[in-house]
Amino acid sequence: MDNILSILVFFPAIAGLLGFVVDKESARAYGITVAAIEFLLSLWLWFSFDTANAGMQFVEMIPLIPSFGISYYIGVDGISLFIILMATLMTLIGMVGMSTTKNIKNMIITLLFLEMTMVGVFVALDAIIFYLFWELSLVPMLYIIGAWGGPLRIYASVKFFLYTFTGSLIMLVGMLFMAYIYHNTTGIWSFAITDWYALVLPVNYQLWLFVAFFFGFAIKVPMFPFHTWLPYAHGQAPTIGSVILAAVLLKMGTYGFVRFSLPMFPDASVMMITPIAVLAIIMIIYTAMVAYAQKDIKQVIAYSSVSHMGIIMLGIFAMNAEGISGSIFQMLSHGIVSGALFMLVGVIYDRRHTKLMSEFGGLASVMPKYAVIFGIMLMASVGLPLTIGFVGEFLVLLGFYQVSPIMTILAGTSIIIGAIYMLAVYKKSFFGPVTNEANKTLKDLDAKETWSLVPLVLIVIWLGIYPKPVLEPIDNSVKAMLVFMDKKAITQEAKDMIRVSKSTEGGI
Amino acid sequence: MENLVYIALFAPFVGSMFAALFGMSPKQTFVGIIASSLLFISFAASAVLAFHVYTTGTAIHVTMMEWISAGDLMIPFGFLVDQVSVTMMTVVTLVSTVVHIYSIGYMDHDKSFNRFFSYLSAFVFSMMILVMSDNFAGLFIGWEGVGVCSWLLIGFWYHKEDVAREKNPSISPSWAANEAFIVNRIAGLGMLIGIFIIYWNVGSLQYDVVFADLPNLSSSVLNAAALALFIGAMGKSAQFPLHTWLTDAMEGPTPVSALIHAATMVTAGVFLIIRANPIFSMTPEVSFFIAALGTFVAFFAASMALVNRDLKRIIAFSTLSQLGYMFAAAGLGAYWIALFHLAAHAFFKALLFLGAGNVMHAMDDELDIFKMGGLKKAMNWTYIYMGVASLALAGIPIFAGFFSKDAIIETAFNEGTYVLWAILVLTAGMTAFYSFRQVFLTFHGAKRYKDEIHPHEMYKFVLIAMAPLAILAVIAGFFMGGFQTFVTKLLPNYEMSHHTHELIVVLTAVVLVFAVGGIWLAYKKYANGLKRDEKLENSFLYKLLANQYYIPQFYEEFITKPYAMISEKMWKDIDMKIVDATVDGIAKFLYKSGDKARAMQTGNLSNYLNWMAVGGVLLLIVAAISAMLA
Repeated sequence: MDNILSILVFFPAIAGLLGFVVDKESARAYGITVAAIEFLLSLWLWFSFDTANAGMQFVEMIPLIPSFGISYYIGVDGISLFIILMATLMTLIGMVGMSTTKNIKNMIITLLFLEMTMVGVFVALDAIIFYLFWELSLVPMLYIIGAWGGPLRIYASVKFFLYTFTGSLIMLVGMLFMAYIYHNTTGIWSFAITDWYALVLPVNYQLWLFVAFFFGFAIKVPMFPFHTWLPYAHGQAPTIGSVILAAVLLKMGTYGFVRFSLPMFPDASVMMITPIAVLAIIMIIYTAMVAYAQKDIKQVIAYSSVSHMGIIMLGIFAMNAEGISGSIFQMLSHGIVSGALFMLVGVIYDRRHTKLMSEFGGLASVMPKYAVIFGIMLMASVGLPLTIGFVGEFLVLLGFYQVSPIMTILAGTSIIIGAIYMLAVYKKSFFGPVTNEANKTLKDLDAKETWSLVPLVLIVIWLGIYPKPVLEPIDNSVKAMLVFMDKKAITQEAKDMIRVSKSTEGGI
Repeated sequence: MENLVYIALFAPFVGSMFAALFGMSPKQTFVGIIASSLLFISFAASAVLAFHVYTTGTAIHVTMMEWISAGDLMIPFGFLVDQVSVTMMTVVTLVSTVVHIYSIGYMDHDKSFNRFFSYLSAFVFSMMILVMSDNFAGLFIGWEGVGVCSWLLIGFWYHKEDVAREKNPSISPSWAANEAFIVNRIAGLGMLIGIFIIYWNVGSLQYDVVFADLPNLSSSVLNAAALALFIGAMGKSAQFPLHTWLTDAMEGPTPVSALIHAATMVTAGVFLIIRANPIFSMTPEVSFFIAALGTFVAFFAASMALVNRDLKRIIAFSTLSQLGYMFAAAGLGAYWIALFHLAAHAFFKALLFLGAGNVMHAMDDELDIFKMGGLKKAMNWTYIYMGVASLALAGIPIFAGFFSKDAIIETAFNEGTYVLWAILVLTAGMTAFYSFRQVFLTFHGAKRYKDEIHPHEMYKFVLIAMAPLAILAVIAGFFMGGFQTFVTKLLPNYEMSHHTHELIVVLTAVVLVFAVGGIWLAYKKYANGLKRDEKLENSFLYKLLANQYYIPQFYEEFITKPYAMISEKMWKDIDMKIVDATVDGIAKFLYKSGDKARAMQTGNLSNYLNWMAVGGVLLLIVAAISAMLA
């Protein structure tokens, strides 16, 4: 299967098209089957992936508009491999656990299209292809929030669309400018990211381009102060929408920084460490405090997402393998854990049609299984060792300590304030006596919910105890990228800052 | 031998998982029995390992598998059984076994019996990881693991509701559990920073590599690392100002208090200092700070115990105070004495707590010692056990505490830190007083409890299970010499100077006078019943002590409440009114300007021509300006 990546991208889309002729009653089963096949295909990709090879694998290249150097150019390395796996996994799990029954067929087809765009973004090696999938991913999400959302769904979905779209347009300008410079320098047109990597740019060009790309990525992440679309989107989106949004769509932003900003503009990236770190620390502390003030469980998780994305941003700009690998691992960890937490909130919302903590209390005695799984995800979210949440957070903080001890201490408060808001949620919802009559007869997790949540629990523990199968390929690719950045950097400050691991010095 | 290491480590884990299988079903006595048996297996394995290390003098080092590796960082799951860790392993598993068996009786009527054993064994497993790990990151796993188990166990009766602080200073089990977790997270950050400092300066987190590389590090790096690690230790061992969670943690079931909040987990901080002694030996300023803070906490906690009326809280304060003693010894460089006091304290303090558990069981969960009295007759064995434990705590000769605590006080004298010495001596007197105030008020005098309470002795098997602790509380001190030769193979030896040696009789006598004096005072005041002294109870000092120096209230007013208030403000005033309003403002501006501009589309051709003329003029101006600039 040489074209595994193309199959991964287009299989869900084709299956989605075929979904129009599927019977309404069997739409759900159809969707789950397609998502399961897609997940198995991505697993196959992992098993045939050469973990020792740090470069791009399964590369496919078909020229589309040769005169402008635009081609269908895709490939995967250790950095993108696991994000793809997470995207296919969370789509599958989200579908299994989905409780939506209204217009289920439309939902399934939308999700399958969304899956195509998600996989597409992470395999794209051509800027235009990347941009296409990046923007196309907005459409299904707009539809999911707008059609299945809460009372404010139209406002939330339009805000989500326009806000991220604005950022993307600035990024598009950056891309066009980049291609223009490439043409000016080499005399040929190319939108291939790998070609762009090879181009050494003067520092002021790097800075302008960094800023252009920054708007596209930062709004997607979302970084402070561009984050306010997220609480609305989560607040209004149905459970499945929040799961995909938090688990995968946000990672497109942080992935963009790793795929574009760092290797293309190493000097500008080093110069931007402090401003980005300051924003990241504000994200971490400020949104964690805002999360504590929330009355609605889903809003707490939404704001906590922003806080955790701050940790990821910080790690990317640590400029050493510990930090960047940790950051990419944290992307996966946050995807799994926040996805699971949104599903858990969905469970209680389905039963009570409210997400306000004041409505609950004492759920642990009524729904013990639910309380256990929520507890495990809570612990993973606050970064308890031997859960998936610790590995990434620890590596990011460890990595960034080399850049700035003071900023690391500030960012490290996330382990304290993260515990504060999560434990407050748990205490208000699960502990204490059952005071609300409506809660006394709640049913514990049913089979469907258990089957969708237990795999996530297993992953949380497995990757917490033995992260090596995932961390090693990531680390290999990151080390190679750092070696490349170090060679490419033109300023001495950047060369000093970018820390090549001892094990790769002189190698590759 | 390697297999024994894994047996000692994983037997409690198996027990925990087994109990968890029955976690949601009604009480099954065999769950408790199997969990206890597995703990005993773990204890037996630890004892054999201890014997092995004792006879051969060599440490056992096993590496199970790789955990995290990224960049140049490589952290394995490695376990080290040497003189220090094997001492901890033996003490932890011994006390845990007793507490497990005790819990079969104590938790008899609890509907969550199985769940309790699952948590308790999980705690022991985490504690074993903490003491056995061969690197700082592994230690941190155990560190956080015991924290979570402590959270689960303090909040074990999570269904209780919050009450006002005046009614119950701990507010509710779930509140106390969260407080403990969050305070430990604050300290955990310090610990993490310490780990980062070590990693970026040494390049490894393995104890042996780090300790071998210490001479190459600058003193500022060493000081920073030592201080950061000590901040971590302050949280787990509840040193001032991170101490409030420990007394609130008494909301947990009493076996939990005995095991976690007296004998094992809270000593983790002391263990860390002992484990990392090569770092602390090279940082005299930080070490002295540790000793000084420890001495202060010893006195500070003892002062609060003097007036407290809550049976468990008195013991909790006394634990704090004794932890202060251990830090004083460790800070002064007498690591082996600190470790010895840690072990001796584990035995007699666990015994004291379990005795208190018996009293609670008999008194229908009454904790106010002013409402007890005269229990001696009904609870003879408990009386003896608590008496023995209190004698040991007070440091009366032949009992374990005499040897260990006296050695710490002598160390303070030997180091020439006479102020610390004087405070520790005074504290020894206070310790004797509050311990026996508690014993006399509980067991002596006339009964003060309600008539509907019929005190009864604990189950016989529970009393038998407690016997090993009682025996050790008496005889542990006789093994001090052997213990010294054993652990000083690894730890730096600490001997009293010649001068101190000459004065030893005088020094011991001074301490004894204070200890016996304390007991005598308690006897005079309380042995023949309680005579309330209204004037004293209303005095400022008494109230200050009874309210824990108003520190919990201070934290609430100046940290908890402002935090909630600022969070609320950030959300409503900043996030909604500034950040989000700006975004919506831009959107609204664009929308409105479009709306206004729409008015131009009148469909009237002459209007359009006018606008065209305006546009033409504007373009001309732009062209003119750009021509001038160029």
